[in-house]
Amino acid sequence: MTDDALREVSGFAIALDRAYAPATHMWVRPTGDLHVTIGMDPLGVETSGTLAQLSLPEPGQVLIAGQPFGQLEAVKFVGPLTSPVSGTVRAVNAAAAADPGLVEREPFTAGWLIKAILSDPADLGKLLTDPQAITDWYAARIADYRLSGAIAR
Amino acid sequence: MSGTGGWLNPAGQAAVPWRLIADDGAAAAGGLAVDEALMARYARGEQPAAPTLRLYTYRTHCALIGRYQNLEAEVDLDACRETGTQVSRRPTGGGAIIMGAGQLGVALTAAAPSGRRPREIIEDLAAALITGLAGLGITAVFKGKNDLEVNGRKIAGLGLYLDQSGALLFHASVLADLDIDFMLRALRIPAAKLADKAAAAVAERVTTLTALTGVRWDGPALRPVIEAGFAKTFGADLEPAQPSAAELTAAGELATARYASMSWLADRSAALDGSGSAALKTPAGLARIYLTTHGDLVKNAIVVGDFNDLPPAVADMEAALRWHRLDDRSVAAVVARTGAAGALAVPADQLVAAVLHAGHQAVDRLAAAPARSEGSCYFPEPTVRHQ
Repeated sequence: MTDDALREVSGFAIALDRAYAPATHMWVRPTGDLHVTIGMDPLGVETSGTLAQLSLPEPGQVLIAGQPFGQLEAVKFVGPLTSPVSGTVRAVNAAAAADPGLVEREPFTAGWLIKAILSDPADLGKLLTDPQAITDWYAARIADYRLSGAIAR
Repeated sequence: MSGTGGWLNPAGQAAVPWRLIADDGAAAAGGLAVDEALMARYARGEQPAAPTLRLYTYRTHCALIGRYQNLEAEVDLDACRETGTQVSRRPTGGGAIIMGAGQLGVALTAAAPSGRRPREIIEDLAAALITGLAGLGITAVFKGKNDLEVNGRKIAGLGLYLDQSGALLFHASVLADLDIDFMLRALRIPAAKLADKAAAAVAERVTTLTALTGVRWDGPALRPVIEAGFAKTFGADLEPAQPSAAELTAAGELATARYASMSWLADRSAALDGSGSAALKTPAGLARIYLTTHGDLVKNAIVVGDFNDLPPAVADMEAALRWHRLDDRSVAAVVARTGAAGALAVPADQLVAAVLHAGHQAVDRLAAAPARSEGSCYFPEPTVRHQ
């Protein structure tokens, strides 16, 4: 990721060189030839609570868009990691599994979760990809979360 | 209305009553198994259904640890065997707790809302507990990482589990009463190190309805209070019910296959637990800071000194450090935000250094010799136990 792709919106970083699933705060970064990297954006992390443990799939596992591919355990919350695309897991970030704090510290770079090969490239078109739309969505969600108390005002 | 829990009423079914299940004396594994079995009707693809609220007590006593905790680090298994205390692991996060007739278990099951974040869901549902307690004239507030406190003391712990099928389980344990001496015995708590101060120190950090009202309360007595809180907060019509035959069958299977199984109980987090302490010289005498850690997370923090009463800002700092990552910047931010240094009459950088020293001691000890620490959601253990 280049520095040009990174923006700050109301105190939260967002990378504009990738696609986002608005409901789950998962990002997908195309890396060529149907290959993608998948992670969670800082708002998704912050509104889950401090991460205590990540359960990630084995390479080879099939991903289905909208279905869980792993589990996130925060200090008061346990729940699924939901895949934004369909495909097959190619690699898992062992460093993040060993140190979930990496996802909090570097959500767009070293804190990625899995790498995958898309089974249907059209999946990307169902996500937010336009930089302005991403920025607008992010700003609106930050405002919502501040209002609800899910993140600090 | 989504911001106030409107998502709890399925589309077009706002008038459908919620199920209200009340039971007492649940076994550790059986009680948790029923909660999970109640989630099944909210799986994706099922017909929309109104939520189920279960208000129940466990048999006296059960020790329940959080989803990712290490059992022997949190529970004194010998003491549990001697006292007939059952043990299990919740599917939700949080710390080790003692449950029995004095504590009301709250389990809300529903379809997980789309697009609503875990912290928002917890806050939506905790509003019902706050409303219920307000009916008794008790003002409870969120503090730390999703606990409810009254006057700076914890009265309820909260947790949330979303399963892979899209169903939601909200757990709360509300302290109608608490046998602190028993808790000190059954959970890994530094009774040996702090001796007679242990019970007093716990009492400074938790509260109960009995302590607040001067009248003895128990879980069953608290049940209608919390029921009223849910009814008022969500405009819900709560209709007494029993789990269905299918749910009871599933619960029986879950109790055996999961909640009483050794593999579930012995499940270990990748992160190790550690503990450390640091001395801090204050104008009023020597204070000592104890920290327990889970990986690089602060699991518990406690400041012990010659205080007549624990300064509120210090209690705030303890709560704010809990489940925080142990790094210089965030510890400094917590100290600054809570005003704890001023309350202890020491420079902020000295307090930050003492907290970090205690934390780094825990981590360094682990690096030198893997060890398991002790601690509950109430209180840490100041020593490292080598296995």
